[in-house]
Amino acid sequence: MSTLEILLQKIDPRPGFREARKSRRHFTDYVFKILLGIVMVVIISPFFLVLIEVASAGFSQVFGFGQGQGIEFFTTFPGAGLLGGIRNAFVGTIELIAIASAVGIPLSVFGAVYINEYTRPGISREVIEFTSDVLAGIPSIVFGAFGFAFLVDFLHLGMGLVSGSLTLAFMMIPTVLRTTQEALRQVPMSLREASLALGATKWSTTWNVTLRAAFPGVITGVLLAIGRVMGETAPLIFTAGNSLSVPTELTGPGSWVASMPYTIWAYVSDPRAYLQDKAHGTALALMMMVLAIDLVANLISRKVTRRLV
Amino acid sequence: MSNKNELITADDETSDSDFISRLKRPFIDFNNADRSGRVDILGRLGLFIPAVASTLIIVLVLAFLWVESATIFGDPSGGIGIIINPTWDPNRDMYGIAVFIVGSLMCTGLAIGIAVPLGIGGAIFLSEFCPMRLRQPIKMIVEMMAAIPSIVYGLWAFLVLVPVVKNNIAPIFGSDSNGLSLLAGGIILAIMLLPTVVTISNDALQTVPRSLREASLALGATQSETSRKIVLSAALPGVGAAVVLSLGRAVGETMAVLMVTGNSLQIPYSLFDPTYVMTSIITNQLGYAFVFPLWRSALFAVGLILLIMSICFTLTAKLFIKWGMKTRGYI
Repeated sequence: MSTLEILLQKIDPRPGFREARKSRRHFTDYVFKILLGIVMVVIISPFFLVLIEVASAGFSQVFGFGQGQGIEFFTTFPGAGLLGGIRNAFVGTIELIAIASAVGIPLSVFGAVYINEYTRPGISREVIEFTSDVLAGIPSIVFGAFGFAFLVDFLHLGMGLVSGSLTLAFMMIPTVLRTTQEALRQVPMSLREASLALGATKWSTTWNVTLRAAFPGVITGVLLAIGRVMGETAPLIFTAGNSLSVPTELTGPGSWVASMPYTIWAYVSDPRAYLQDKAHGTALALMMMVLAIDLVANLISRKVTRRLV
Repeated sequence: MSNKNELITADDETSDSDFISRLKRPFIDFNNADRSGRVDILGRLGLFIPAVASTLIIVLVLAFLWVESATIFGDPSGGIGIIINPTWDPNRDMYGIAVFIVGSLMCTGLAIGIAVPLGIGGAIFLSEFCPMRLRQPIKMIVEMMAAIPSIVYGLWAFLVLVPVVKNNIAPIFGSDSNGLSLLAGGIILAIMLLPTVVTISNDALQTVPRSLREASLALGATQSETSRKIVLSAALPGVGAAVVLSLGRAVGETMAVLMVTGNSLQIPYSLFDPTYVMTSIITNQLGYAFVFPLWRSALFAVGLILLIMSICFTLTAKLFIKWGMKTRGYI
């Protein structure tokens, strides 16, 4: 039998029909299964609709060869009438993410290590876990308002790179904290005990054994958090400002910074029609970056689970 | 023998030592330690600070939102009554936020009404009936749907969904809506919630022990009866948690909803009326309002209400999971 015949036999509905005609209950069973299949198709179809729409309008921007297209889309500033590329937003997003990661990741990874390795399970650990769950559920615009009130206004940092990236760092903390905790929990107790029995201190056990064993899980969490905050617009509206060039100072108006999500929003709200194409191009680039990060995280986590099982 | 005695005396010292010596002990330990021991103590301290800092952020968020919104709650023209006052007019210093609360609740209700039945159906399909070969790709697509930034969903909804609502759906019901409506907001919100509902419900369904399914099938139930009456009811706490968590996401979603709901200050009476949700009012007006104490404070009050809502949802989800642990023993 050829592969095609085997395949056809597998998707042949006739056995299902025969089964379905036996009684009313079997018929309901059959209909129910088909209905669920349709529901699944309905659920995943928006993904393709969004992908196709964004890609069809943005493709020429990101991969085209005209002026301000292709590689120029990322390497030229918007210029007069915003006709150029989106270098300001591209560089801005990377800078924001870099600073946010530099602040947020150590804070949350070390915090998770302390909570998991140095505290006993009990009421205090539950409280900490609950607060990070609450933190993960806070609406992004509330983070934006908080960043505005705390960083911009109270600490007088002003809008710009520092305030924007710190706000993003706050948003990263719960995700990284919880995934790191989960990864540390997966490390077998025997590894720690073996290290301690060899005379290693708690610190060197944690640093050299536990954290190393949990490393892939930690990386997964970090990547997921980066992918998540990369697409956030709302926290940046009141904390990062907007700019047509890259930031040159750390505080003051010179530090205002554009980001890709904000640029999409600004361009879509603009009545000039050609900006919609630019918005689509930016959206396509952003989506590709986020999905690539997500895929890598997925791959790492799948590899890890396979190794552990 | 002597060793044992030493141990006991050391124990006694720690148990009934007074406050001062307990305070001194870390320093004495540090002095007595060798190099790796010192690194150990310092490392512990170095880890303790991030742990406290990352926990303190939630306290900071609550404190700042409370302090900022205290102005409007303490003002005679405001007070706690703004929650039920429907008039929002910053020019006349009237800051009733009922419109936004109702708009948010209606939009969320619509989205949940669409997303939960679909999402639970999808989760059942994924965990019970999906062919093995398709399971991993579908899971991956669903996870990618969760990763797409909300602004991209907003872009798509604004340019595709809104015209569809305007040209194709509204005329059927005899409405001349311009497409920016409660319905468009509800649909895009539902699309954004689906991954959450599917993923968490699917996880819950897969923790149900195989033996339950086998017992049901052995008693002569069909596969669909098993999945509906046995598996789903066994996984009910987890599914409940999924629904509550997605409720929290729905209320807090900002950009996509902002772009498609029309942002008009009215309580919607039909699916095709524009509406204004809580997240949109903050996004749209905080930029202008920050020099006017009352206006700004009213916006922070909206933020505080959002925060309280999300805390309640997280708490409810936790309770669901606790209920599952108590009655089912898994999840």
